[in-house]
Amino acid sequence: MEQVIEWLVANWLKIAVPLLAFLATYIVGLWLRRVVHNVLERWVATRKWEGGQVIVWAVHRPFIYWFLLLGILVAVQVSVLSPLVKGLSALAIGTLFVLSLGWVILQLAEQLVRLYFPRIKASQSITAFVINVIRFAIILVTLLVALDMWGVPTTPLLAVIVLGILIALVSFRNAATNVSAGVQLGAAQQIRVGDYIKLESGEEGYVTELTWSNTQIRALDQSIIIVPNIRLLQQTIINYGKPLKKAKDSFQFHSRTHFTELTGLKAKNLRELVDILRKVPDAVIYFHTHHFLEEQYYLTPQLSNDFAVWVTEALGDEVLAERLASIDTFGFPNLGALRERIIATIEEYLSGNPPQREAMPDRDFHFMKSVSFILPTAYAVHDLREFIEALRKISLGSLFFHVFDARLRLGRGMNDFSIWLQDSLGDTELAEEIARLDPYTFTLEGLRLALIQLIEKRME
Amino acid sequence: MASKLAGKVIQNINSTFSGGGVAEILNRMVPLLNQLGVDARWNIIKGNDEFFQVTKKFHNALQGRPQTITGSDFDTFMETTRRNFEVCELYGDVIFIHDPQPAGLIARKKEIGKKWLWRCHIDVSNPERKVWGFLRPMVSQYDSAVFSAPAFSPELPIRQFLISPSIDPLSDKNRELPQETIDAVLAKYGIPRDKPIITQVSRFDYLKDPVGVIEAFEVVQKSIACRLVYAGGTATDDPESDKVLAEVRERVGKNPNIHILLVPPGSDIDINALQRASTIVVQKSISEGFGLTVSEALWKAKPVVASAVGGITLQVKNKFTGLLTHGIPGTAYALKQLLSNPDYARWLGENGREHVRRNFLITRHLKDYLLLFLTLFNPGDVIYL
Repeated sequence: MEQVIEWLVANWLKIAVPLLAFLATYIVGLWLRRVVHNVLERWVATRKWEGGQVIVWAVHRPFIYWFLLLGILVAVQVSVLSPLVKGLSALAIGTLFVLSLGWVILQLAEQLVRLYFPRIKASQSITAFVINVIRFAIILVTLLVALDMWGVPTTPLLAVIVLGILIALVSFRNAATNVSAGVQLGAAQQIRVGDYIKLESGEEGYVTELTWSNTQIRALDQSIIIVPNIRLLQQTIINYGKPLKKAKDSFQFHSRTHFTELTGLKAKNLRELVDILRKVPDAVIYFHTHHFLEEQYYLTPQLSNDFAVWVTEALGDEVLAERLASIDTFGFPNLGALRERIIATIEEYLSGNPPQREAMPDRDFHFMKSVSFILPTAYAVHDLREFIEALRKISLGSLFFHVFDARLRLGRGMNDFSIWLQDSLGDTELAEEIARLDPYTFTLEGLRLALIQLIEKRME
Repeated sequence: MASKLAGKVIQNINSTFSGGGVAEILNRMVPLLNQLGVDARWNIIKGNDEFFQVTKKFHNALQGRPQTITGSDFDTFMETTRRNFEVCELYGDVIFIHDPQPAGLIARKKEIGKKWLWRCHIDVSNPERKVWGFLRPMVSQYDSAVFSAPAFSPELPIRQFLISPSIDPLSDKNRELPQETIDAVLAKYGIPRDKPIITQVSRFDYLKDPVGVIEAFEVVQKSIACRLVYAGGTATDDPESDKVLAEVRERVGKNPNIHILLVPPGSDIDINALQRASTIVVQKSISEGFGLTVSEALWKAKPVVASAVGGITLQVKNKFTGLLTHGIPGTAYALKQLLSNPDYARWLGENGREHVRRNFLITRHLKDYLLLFLTLFNPGDVIYL
């Protein structure tokens, strides 16, 4: 013990000087930290920059550690230690400083990303990806600098790393472009989850998810379309915005195809025509007043009902043909009433114009009906926007089924669209507008267009 | 739709694997049904010459041609039918019988059950009563019958369906042809392209009224420069056809604008080219079953002038997809109208092509077959699949 005290008495200056140098540096550090902190606080306050607070507090704590390191460095340098020890300690302290500086920069960058990426609506996956890239880059640079300080040759290592990065970029260039596109889409905020979008290439639907590499869209047929983000940037997109009011129940579009059934019944003259008309099932009346609408949909003007055509072509009676052709099918609530009107028209004509001609050879009227096969389509819609887009896509058979078959053949009294709009969507006004539309005055394509225009007007 | 027939075997039965319209249809339809996943198969009945002579007479009688039918003919038919009970295995869930020859197999329905269809490919609108009276009780036992035109449908106690014939747009007779091929065919038959060409493609048969076509053309020729091409063959089983051809040639005389072409069997590309080279296609038949040559012309977007007979009225909607006429003067008038109004003629042709596209292509035929089978398992007029 005495030897220790003697040594201390003899060498107190060798200890005191480094100690004082350390303390002085530390105290200066504390003072400088306060000054710098205040200056930064004022600067941030004047700029009203939220990111400034992150910088202020990111620097505040390590500042004192850096002055601790500086104090140790000064103390060692003024001490009586050998030059070798001084050199090694300077290198070690310098390395610690570089590592801590890297750590601070890493924390700072990470906090700034976490602060700002949610503002640009970047998804969590994009944020996590960017943070990982930043971490990798900063740690890499920090390690390289530290190694360089110790004299380790970093150029070959750097070359290997750069080469690795380049290979990775080439290998994942599509992913990289998609990520880049995803960042741009997120930053621009032109597409959000929930938007209804339509791509130039034809895909459309509600955006259900935006990831760092792709955008997912739920199509009308409920399928999920995954579109690489780069494709979204490269083409024109119509964004219809947020969803509209949802219906209580979805509207399931059906398609219909028909198969002609023969009755074996035929008429040679008007009397036979009327007599058979009285006894055939409603399906026969429906067939002869409707099948041409679908079979000859491309003709403008459209053909008249079969009775009028037969009276013209087989009996050569233009007057009665005109009366039969002008029977307004839309004005009848059911097929029974329509049948009675056709019969009454012929009977009235017969009473004033006896006797009647026989049909030309091979031109008897053959009574037919159709068997309808109803098949569900892939389209089930929940709001007006989906409805209008499905209307553009469905077959004419589907349109025919929901407008013509529904009202008269299936006896629903109204077209299916109006029923759904009224009962499930609560849009009575639009339902009535569509119900008032006389579908018999349009070609099927014309009817599709008219319905779309009515709904578009309503959506405005 | 095809998936709704999963597990069902459709057994087609007729009398031959080759030759004739039925074999031609089945040769196309059975593979197409298979490709859709429908287990369609095809068998034939066996019969000797005597049997087929009888069925040939039945065939003619059902189409309204007077035949001498004796009691032994019916015995021959029934005897062969009974022999086929033993040799023709009936394994299908749907037994699809084509034409009268195998119709008698229906006698086994009570024993084996299953669904039975009878497909009548011929015109039975004015059948000879004796033969129809013999066949009708058999047909009435089927679950359903199928006819090619509404006019062929008799009153029966069973359901009847309409399946119109169809054309195959990819066959040699209907596929697109390069202009060089068309030019080569015209050169082969010595037809210059200096004037509009009016064409009728039909065999040399009085029912196709070739002389009427020539007379109508002569009326047109007085005011409009044009050419007439009448292209057809002679049927080996029709001794009249040579006589008709001779009469036609005599009637034409030395008119350089009328080209009577005897086209050998299998010249589908030639027929295709002649139709495509035509300005107007005529079908001035006196009587017609369905008249697929009209569908062929319409498919090539040609304006058609045709008699309002048989199945032609299903294809030509007057003034919309062509012009229907009732005699020589009407035909001549319609031809002049179309030659003088090419825009109207083009509009009719385009409408005609669309009409065929929707109603008379093999795809529609295939769909009708699927629907026909489905009606057997799904009663009612409105069927939710």
